Amino acid sequence: MSADVIGSDRPLTATQRALFEVVVDMIVPASADGTKPSAAEVGVLDFIAERQPGDLPAIVRDIDRLDAAARERHGAGFAGIDAASRRALVEDMRADDAAFLRNLAMHTVTCYYQDDRVLTAIGLEARPPFPKGYEVVAGDTGLLEPVRRRGSIVRDA
Amino acid sequence: MADDIVDVLIVGAGASGAAVAWSLAETRMRIVCLEQGGWMNPAEYPSNGRDWEMRQYSEYQLSPNLRKRAADYPINDDDSPIAILNFNAVGGSTILYSAHFPRFHPSDFRVASLDGVADDWPIDYWMLEPFFAENDRNIGVSGLAGDPAIPFHEPPLPPVPMGRMGEAMGRGFNKLGWHWWPSDTAIVTRDYNGRGRCLNLGPCNAGCAQGAKSSADVTYWPMAERAGVELRTNCRVREVTVDGRDMATGVTYFDADGVERHQRAEVVIVACNGVGTPRLLLNSTSARFPDGLANRSGLVGKNLMLHPFGHVRGIFPEPLASHFGPQGSCILSQEFYETDSSRGFVRGYDLQVTRGAPPVAAARAGIASGTIPWGEDHHAAFERTYDRDINIGVLCEDLPEEHNRVTLDPELADSHGIPAPKVSYKLSENSRRMLEHGVARASEAMIAAGATTVHPSPSPIRYCGWHLLGTARMGDDPGRSVVNSWGRSHDVRNLFIVDGSVFVTSGGVNPTTTIQAVALYIADAMKKNLANLFD
Repeated sequence: MSADVIGSDRPLTATQRALFEVVVDMIVPASADGTKPSAAEVGVLDFIAERQPGDLPAIVRDIDRLDAAARERHGAGFAGIDAASRRALVEDMRADDAAFLRNLAMHTVTCYYQDDRVLTAIGLEARPPFPKGYEVVAGDTGLLEPVRRRGSIVRDA
Repeated sequence: MADDIVDVLIVGAGASGAAVAWSLAETRMRIVCLEQGGWMNPAEYPSNGRDWEMRQYSEYQLSPNLRKRAADYPINDDDSPIAILNFNAVGGSTILYSAHFPRFHPSDFRVASLDGVADDWPIDYWMLEPFFAENDRNIGVSGLAGDPAIPFHEPPLPPVPMGRMGEAMGRGFNKLGWHWWPSDTAIVTRDYNGRGRCLNLGPCNAGCAQGAKSSADVTYWPMAERAGVELRTNCRVREVTVDGRDMATGVTYFDADGVERHQRAEVVIVACNGVGTPRLLLNSTSARFPDGLANRSGLVGKNLMLHPFGHVRGIFPEPLASHFGPQGSCILSQEFYETDSSRGFVRGYDLQVTRGAPPVAAARAGIASGTIPWGEDHHAAFERTYDRDINIGVLCEDLPEEHNRVTLDPELADSHGIPAPKVSYKLSENSRRMLEHGVARASEAMIAAGATTVHPSPSPIRYCGWHLLGTARMGDDPGRSVVNSWGRSHDVRNLFIVDGSVFVTSGGVNPTTTIQAVALYIADAMKKNLANLFD
């Protein structure tokens, strides 16, 4: 597959690609303390292209709509306007259409919270559950004493 | 050999079909089971890989309509607020179940006598008790003896860990003076019968890579096959055939290569769950049974019960390591299980405390609900919820109503062209009130346990139709039931039904332990009556 082509057969231009990264970084930016990367850094675009390519055309349409709205409102593409204007524009468009960029946001966090750097930053080992598993404390069954004291609550039948 | 006559032919290799196959194997009869799915490979389950959460949302979707594996058949559930969930493979829906394993109560079998609703069962708790215990031993069930909400029983293995989250909820229930107890769970917490103990992997409802979850493929089927039962996979049954004496002669099915075959049998046992069983019977029409096989009562497919489900998520101030441990099983409260007419509804529900959300699920839930925002505040909001959440499911008893039913869709069909089931279901006023009450009580329990915020979901949850019950009910009156008190069709004397279809009422708990106890009870009755099985 060419580097300029993602998804099934829909090309993403360099402008669209840059815009995509701006948008996913608005969803999950890098953490202020520098311990967590931004969404663009963990490869959301490649993740969607590989795992959910069928969803990409609709996402690209949303991004194109965003860019067109920026040009109409500010006379410049979305990537060329300041952060406050970007936020305001996205909020307005999401308020008008609840589905706008919703699927992209879900894919973004799905990708983000499977990334090694992110998992390590939130205190997990970057590994699958099997075969090592996890230790879970048994819990204090002494807490059941009031329940035992109350006695049987089985209904006569 | 496929055209030879076999003694017993079982359709479906899930929870009930597997139990019956094992039980009947000791008779040394020739037993064949046809299953439309194949064997699952635990090495391919999501928890083997880094993308385990992602895969739960794709190939391990709970709904066959979304999952669309080759073994799945479509189900038209557009006319129901609750979507139908199942899995088609050796082990059936136990492959994806959470293995929460509470038993029905004695009162569940006598709701007409006790509460004046629905009908009593023709059998009772004490008739099933030996089979509950036998099933617990056979598959490996964990739990803590002495639960005061049900008659004494002793699970063979110690309970799954409650964890800090279970302790927190237990303290909350204690504050309110409510019942709670560690859940009986069909998961082995110690090495058991050659299976390794639970490792607390988490996503039991996407298949257990360790094999600790007691799904039918790793419990009954190895024993049944060793005892001589033949299991044919990727074989989809189209219809049960009958002769002019109203006796089943066998089944017509498509084999793994798509070739149509007929398997003759002396006895046919249907074990396809509360949607698959009526679908098969309604597809089995003939001159003597124009409205579907074993359907002279007109009740095949009617009285579908689904356990409407409510959900509350609580967020706690301190980390609880809440997403570790068996996802669907921790503790339960049965404080509101029995009827109290002052509540405005009859019968009751179970509060099932389940684990918190792992990272992807926590983030997706937050984004979807708006509690985790886009932008700079994302990380702080995530940290305020992740690993600090507890869930409570409100599992409501659903009463039988004839208008809730399974029929055949006039257009939809599976990959073999067999008409698909259509589900028509309306939530009753009794269930609506029960859900409202249960969600309010679950929220109250969360607050008592120390939750700082509580998020009830709109009820009923759509993707919760796991428990498919009542569509070929048992009873003594052939005009008011499909099978007799030991699972034999009133109309076709060598046809038996052993799955949740035969349930007269639904109880207010996950039904699989009771489904398997009923299946073992029916198999036992068949063995005791072998000499005059068709009289």
